[in-house]
Amino acid sequence: MIRFENVTMVYDQKSRLGSENARPGLDDVTIEIDRGDFAFLVGASGSGKSTFLRLILREIVATGGSVHVAGQNVARIPSWRVPKLRRGIGVVFQDFRLLPQKNVFENVAFAMQVVGESRSAIRDHVPEVLKLVGLEGKEKRQPDELSGGEQQRVAIARAIANKPQILLADEPTGNLDPATSVGIMNVLDRINQNGTTVIMATHDDGIVNSMRRRVVELSLGKIMRDESAGEYTSMIPVINQDGTRELRQADHSTWQKPSTGNQAFAPFDTEDDMP
Amino acid sequence: MKLGFILGEVGSGLRRNLSMVVSVVLVTFISLTFVGTAALMQMQITQMKGYWYDKVQVAIYLCGEHNEGTNCAEGAVTEGQRGEIESMLGSAAVKPYVENFEYESKEQALTHFREQFDNSSMSETVTADQLPESFRVSLVDPEKYQIIKELFSSMDGVDVVVDQRELLEKIFSIINIASFVAIGIAGVMILCAVLLVGTTIRLSAYLRRRETGIMRLVGASKSSLQLPFVLEGVISALIGALLASGVLWAAVRFLIDDKLALEYKDTAFISTGEVFMVAPWLILLGVVLAGVSSLVTLRRYLKV
Repeated sequence: MIRFENVTMVYDQKSRLGSENARPGLDDVTIEIDRGDFAFLVGASGSGKSTFLRLILREIVATGGSVHVAGQNVARIPSWRVPKLRRGIGVVFQDFRLLPQKNVFENVAFAMQVVGESRSAIRDHVPEVLKLVGLEGKEKRQPDELSGGEQQRVAIARAIANKPQILLADEPTGNLDPATSVGIMNVLDRINQNGTTVIMATHDDGIVNSMRRRVVELSLGKIMRDESAGEYTSMIPVINQDGTRELRQADHSTWQKPSTGNQAFAPFDTEDDMP
Repeated sequence: MKLGFILGEVGSGLRRNLSMVVSVVLVTFISLTFVGTAALMQMQITQMKGYWYDKVQVAIYLCGEHNEGTNCAEGAVTEGQRGEIESMLGSAAVKPYVENFEYESKEQALTHFREQFDNSSMSETVTADQLPESFRVSLVDPEKYQIIKELFSSMDGVDVVVDQRELLEKIFSIINIASFVAIGIAGVMILCAVLLVGTTIRLSAYLRRRETGIMRLVGASKSSLQLPFVLEGVISALIGALLASGVLWAAVRFLIDDKLALEYKDTAFISTGEVFMVAPWLILLGVVLAGVSSLVTLRRYLKV
């Protein structure tokens, strides 16, 4: 569904030539995400998660390598066809991005109006989508009358209103409390079970650990880890010589893919790494 | 549906940005009024030229009883002098320049005078003797007036040779200057209008960045993203152009048709018909300028 081949993204190419400090947003990333996958994208801020998502949307074009979405090399899509690519991708953000002067129904209908759906199609489809995200009976509410979790459900409903094959979520639970987050994750899971590929960038370790889905960890633009049913962190408890315990990041520079130590907990999804 | 949606977006844009829209309307209105005024003044000149140039002639006024011209020392023109002038007009030297000429006697002059000043009290008191007799000469090429003047000015019995066109040229040059001033002001105002449309669209795009951001993400095409903004500029300019056309129509209707044309019956004036010829061009100009300036602005400020 989504394939990155040796993708490098350098934001400011000029300064890179001038100095050694400039660091690419993504550095030689190769990964494949299959149809129907549910993948978490984890990593510190600045590790390249957003770059990853923006490349899929073709908000930016990779400076090296190629990004394929649904079999198309997005860099080769002419600019007037980019909207068509984006119609096949839904996006959800941390800050919901609802239109404050439109009610719930209108917010979801907006996505369908924009792509020119007929009034009757909108009337039929919007209640279905709202039901899927668990907002039946709240069509007439304004966004400021909704809780954060409900607002995010509206945003998800809007993202899937045009039946995209891919749903990108950029920290969708970042502004929500744990209990509400679980509700949102259930919605995303339901959408995934209907066949939509979901990629979710997140910092929420509780969610990642409990969902047991594929985890892709980025660090400084490189893929550090890609596990088919992983946990948020690969940090391991270490007992120091003086007897204190601490969590220490697995050493990435010497970290090898067929590491025997972790495999019992987190087997690597090696097929996805192979071109 | 799609059209309805885009129009809805345009409507909300116009409402949210009302003060800027009003200023675009006003600036477009003023600038197009000046453009239209200049155009109408040029049409007035053309109209007058067409009307007058056929009629206007070189008039060779002959001496009357009381003239004091240099050639009129002997008092009124004699039969012989008149005959000489007439034969001179028909001679081989003059003939190539003259299309036709006719003699206007004092009585005919009086008739014309009465026609011209129908309403004024003067026409009652003037008698035929107070008016000079003359030869009315139409020239093949009105520019060659100087030759006729040189040939006839010195002839005995000729009081003065007058090119009536010169009088008109003065009026035309005044109207011309006025229309150049109008064009100059219009130019500055149009520049204002174009920049203001750009600023307004920029502000509008900023105010609606949330909507456009979402539209972009759900796959709105470039045209459906840009069209609401372009239409916003174009509709504002259209309202301005319609106002300008309306004001020009009212000015022509009430100032020219109802006043000047009644007071100066023998002058050809433009009428509301000319306004209807100018108005479509004003509207087109306003719409094209607004459309182009909003598209140029959007290329910079609205990412697709």
